[in-house]
Amino acid sequence: MLTIKNLHASVDGKEILRGIDLTVNPGEIHAIMGPNGAGKSTLSNVLAGREGYEITQGEVIYKGENLLELEPEERAQRGVFLAFQYPVEIPGVSNVYLLKAALNAVRKYQGLEEVDAMDFLTLVREKMKLVKMNEEFLHRNVNEGFSGGEKKRNEILQMAVLEPALAILDETDSGLDIDALRTVSEGVNALRAEDRSIVMITHYQRLLDHIVPDFVHVLSEGRIVKSGDKELAKELEKSGYSWIHDAPEGETA
Amino acid sequence: MKQLTDITTPFDDIAASKTLPGQDIDWLQQLREQARAQFQRQGLPSKKVEDWKYTSLWALSQEVFTHEAGASQLDEMRCSQTALLETAYRLVIVDGQFSAELSHIDGLETGLTVQPLSQAFSKTKSVLGQQVTLEKAGLNALNTMLMTEGAYIQVTANTKVSKPVELLVINTGETDKLATHLRHVIDIAENAELTLVEHYVSLADDSVGLTDVISEVNLAENARLNHFKLQHESLSHYHVATLAGKQASSSIWHTNNISLGAKLARNDIHSQLLGEQAHVTMDGLYLVAGKQHVDNHTRIDHAVPNTTSEEIYKGVLDGDSHAVFNGKVIVHKDAQKTDANQSNRNLLLSRTCEIDTKPEMEIYADDVKCGHGSTVGQLDEQQLFFLRARGMNETSARSLLTYAFAVEVLQRISDMPIRQALSNVIETRLPRGV
Ligand SMILES: Nc1ncnc2c1ncn2[C@@H]1O[C@H](COP(=O)(O)OP(=O)(O)OP(=O)(O)O)[C@@H](O)[C@H]1O
Ligand SMILES: [Mg+2]
Repeated sequence: MLTIKNLHASVDGKEILRGIDLTVNPGEIHAIMGPNGAGKSTLSNVLAGREGYEITQGEVIYKGENLLELEPEERAQRGVFLAFQYPVEIPGVSNVYLLKAALNAVRKYQGLEEVDAMDFLTLVREKMKLVKMNEEFLHRNVNEGFSGGEKKRNEILQMAVLEPALAILDETDSGLDIDALRTVSEGVNALRAEDRSIVMITHYQRLLDHIVPDFVHVLSEGRIVKSGDKELAKELEKSGYSWIHDAPEGETA
Repeated sequence: MKQLTDITTPFDDIAASKTLPGQDIDWLQQLREQARAQFQRQGLPSKKVEDWKYTSLWALSQEVFTHEAGASQLDEMRCSQTALLETAYRLVIVDGQFSAELSHIDGLETGLTVQPLSQAFSKTKSVLGQQVTLEKAGLNALNTMLMTEGAYIQVTANTKVSKPVELLVINTGETDKLATHLRHVIDIAENAELTLVEHYVSLADDSVGLTDVISEVNLAENARLNHFKLQHESLSHYHVATLAGKQASSSIWHTNNISLGAKLARNDIHSQLLGEQAHVTMDGLYLVAGKQHVDNHTRIDHAVPNTTSEEIYKGVLDGDSHAVFNGKVIVHKDAQKTDANQSNRNLLLSRTCEIDTKPEMEIYADDVKCGHGSTVGQLDEQQLFFLRARGMNETSARSLLTYAFAVEVLQRISDMPIRQALSNVIETRLPRGV
């Protein structure tokens, strides 16, 4: 699904990703943890195609294609989905309009016709139930005036409607109350599939109780310094990140 | 002394030679005479006048306008397609002349009067000429000496009019360089309510003409007027307008002023809040491209305590266009507890467009809540990336954000059919791109 090899990226001459290697196979769930400022969001942005990053070394192969050569929309149309750490408000664009436009963009790439209005509503209603969102939100402007938790749910709703092949969830659990965390996790779990991979960025072991990952990686100072299974997250919960500088560079479990 | 000396169209000679309606009405004749004397002294304003600093009427002054429209062939179907609203009372003015055949003003509900001004001058004395001053630099004097047609609208006390009234002013383009001087007189009595749409439209894309219009509004106690203006004329047209109203206590005036077309469009919008609890909303949107020029000057006078105003003007500029916004809010001495909010936001899509924005507040009372500001910017990069990350191509994402920026002004409109109709018109200029 996704192979990242020795990826280096800088912003304004400052190197932030300093040699990332990561392979994600179909159906796998990977959790990426790591201290603030480690480069987790930078990695997600680079994968989604945000401008402003200079790729100085390395490559990213997604479904056999050089991902870094594609425009953000081309990546999205091919099934790459980024749930934003800080979802963007778009006054003047309703949620329902956005969902429909996004879905049709993917369908167009797949050579399908625009979604029929009735089918679309049925689909959206079903997905809204999945993330327990009230239908009222359909007609509100994208994220405008939404609470922090509502914004995160809204990202997952978009994911549910678009059914991406590779979902990157950047701290989707931050700012969620306990019930919302459960709901969002159930939403994500419902989307688990053999041909769908998920990369979750999180600071908390709590999320991983709900969505059990196949692999856990620790990203620090632009590198993956440790990888393991879900037990690694539990260790981190206890011991924090102070050990990183004691361990030999690049050590993996 | 005239400000612009070489006025090619001899407007004052036309006033002398033309048979203008209402000649048997003494007060009107006097008013026209005063206006003519004033226009002879003052002429058209030059850029030396502060209020006209950014808008030149030179090109307009050099056009040779005619004041005689030929017969125009406009059928009912074309007219209906041109109208903004399907369900409305409709007064239609074609090339400056009232059209009885195309208008739908028979069988009005009780309490509502809608008449062509040429037939109603005698009823307008208490309002006409009361909201504007002839001395003000601009076209007030010109309009007053030459006004020939328009609408007289009166709503009697306690009448809540069930359907909107659309004043549909059509330039067919069949008479080249036609100048029309229109005056609307709108009088809403105590506790009465009306929704009004002024709609200016050209049928030919490149016809040259002048629409000179003044709307005078009088709102009695607790009266309510939802007032829309859609200006959608040819890109070679001149449009100069004043919208001025006086508001008694507890009256509410919502104005929504949308400028899409004209080579040059100028609006002077003025509300005087003269009674406590009176409220005015002045919203506006201008979309300009190419060599278009649009200038909105608004003024709100908070003359007494406890009045409120809200104002949002937004603009989308492209090409070599030029937009001017000047919003004045004056809180007079003793107008305590005034609550006034004003903003002007502009989206610049090209490097060569130009905006001059000046929100101004003059506050002479101390216990007030006032805020104002203006912004000039480009599309938001984060929003753009978000939409692209959801699969929209860059062009579509830009179009959608531009459209969204513009229609936000409409989101305060509570009348859904009107909001929808206006959104549709805006979409013809700013396709959402998806
Ligand atoms: N556009 C930018 N300009 C300058 N520095 C940047 C920019 N983007 C990211 N950085 C820096 O890169 C580093 C990594 O940032 P990033 O947002 O990827 O961290 P993170 O691991 O997601 O942190 P958090 O856990 O706090 O979300 C930070 O030091 C940040 O300040
Ligand atoms: Mg982050």
